[in-house]
Amino acid sequence: MSLKVAVHDRADNVGVAIDDIKAGEEVAYVYVSDKAVGGKLKALEEIPLGHKIALRDIKAGEAVVKYGRPIGVAAKDVRAGEHVHVHNLRSAKWSFGGR
Amino acid sequence: MNALTFKGYIREDGSVGIRNHVVVIPVDDLSNTAALGVAQLLRGVTAIPHPYGRLQFGRDLQLLFHVLGGTGANPNVAAAVVIGIDDSWANKVADIIARTGKPVEAFSIEGYGDLRAIERAARKAKDFVQYASELQRTEVDASTLVASIKCGESDTTSGLASNPALGYAVDRLIDYGATVLFGETSELTGAEDIVAERIPDPALREKFWRIYREYVSVIEREGADMLGSQPTEGNIKGGISTIEEKALGNIQKLGTKPITCVLDYLDPLPKERRGRLCFINTSSAAAEFITLAAAKGSVLHFFTTGQGNVVGHPIVPVIKITANPKTAASMREHIDVDVSDLLRFKISVSEAGEQILQYAAKVLNGRLTAAEVLRHEEFSPTKLYISA
Repeated sequence: MSLKVAVHDRADNVGVAIDDIKAGEEVAYVYVSDKAVGGKLKALEEIPLGHKIALRDIKAGEAVVKYGRPIGVAAKDVRAGEHVHVHNLRSAKWSFGGR
Repeated sequence: MNALTFKGYIREDGSVGIRNHVVVIPVDDLSNTAALGVAQLLRGVTAIPHPYGRLQFGRDLQLLFHVLGGTGANPNVAAAVVIGIDDSWANKVADIIARTGKPVEAFSIEGYGDLRAIERAARKAKDFVQYASELQRTEVDASTLVASIKCGESDTTSGLASNPALGYAVDRLIDYGATVLFGETSELTGAEDIVAERIPDPALREKFWRIYREYVSVIEREGADMLGSQPTEGNIKGGISTIEEKALGNIQKLGTKPITCVLDYLDPLPKERRGRLCFINTSSAAAEFITLAAAKGSVLHFFTTGQGNVVGHPIVPVIKITANPKTAASMREHIDVDVSDLLRFKISVSEAGEQILQYAAKVLNGRLTAAEVLRHEEFSPTKLYISA
């Protein structure tokens, strides 16, 4: 299993792919601060380098947390291992329109 | 802590440049042709064309003069020629530059026509180039340095790797006594409280909040879908989903020092500025930011990128840093410092930061950056509102 996900803060519910991840691939995630392995999970879909993967289930309306801070709100239910991006995550600051 | 010294050009007012440009600054769009004409005739002259300068008024006009005058006054400029359609505004810009004590002369086009205006300006510019060619670099310490930082076409590798590495370098530069400018007012949204908490002085912190709220109120007034603008399409392609996520990545490059000056559009840099981190109110667009930072006195810009922004500036070297291995490979000619090893935990933040500092030391002493060689000379004055 390869180490392909970096997590900024232990409070985060998403991590960042530091390499391209294939659908179905088992990956480990590591915390940026001390490089400790935080766990492993199965990617449910393809996650390109730089894109976010849910580390656990996130309910619609729940805060998506990265850097230990909210970066927006889940627009629908998200399962652990799913791709988190503009299709299921909305800004809580500027969401006048949205995709 | 070791000292950081470099060889720079000490100007008449004591400020220190790391380049030795002779520039031709058009005051308005109508004068671009004459300015470019002068630059084409002579070796060693850089024209700085732009689309503005007619029928501007009030604070917007003051900002244009601040940017044009500040660009000529920048220590990377040895001497400047100013060309305007009329001599009144040309003289206003030249007067700002003349306060530094460096050679400057203004020319008008009305009453002469382009061809005679070009000839008169070119004769003066020729003298300036020969004057500048005799100036020598002198060893100075880093307390004379004013630098600026901004990221562009960021992706999540910026917040993970290139920005923390730059943050390390920023802390070191400030320890050495340098002044570092940052801005991107709207792009702090989601992290604005973190930035405010780093401003120890209550009056400055209040000033920051006023500037931030005023800027964001303009965006919110439009009520537009910001996806594609802020974050940009490039940001989204690189995995950034919201302005909050972009801002939290953005502030990773600010290091850990207190913010001890807060400058609105027209505010000059404080004279006493040993080892300062300064916020300046700016657009988050790359060329607009670097243009305004240069007008305030920045002589070196550090630019982290994820997806590969190619921006440069006519007189300020821009150092491009990326941690995205795909960008480092596909846009290699634009990248000065590749810290993608940090993304894969092969090197530490401090090691990546030291790589940036070592490269910066070369650029301070004269090494040309990728953007300089590739002729990226973007000059984009910020316009605050419509012209009359």
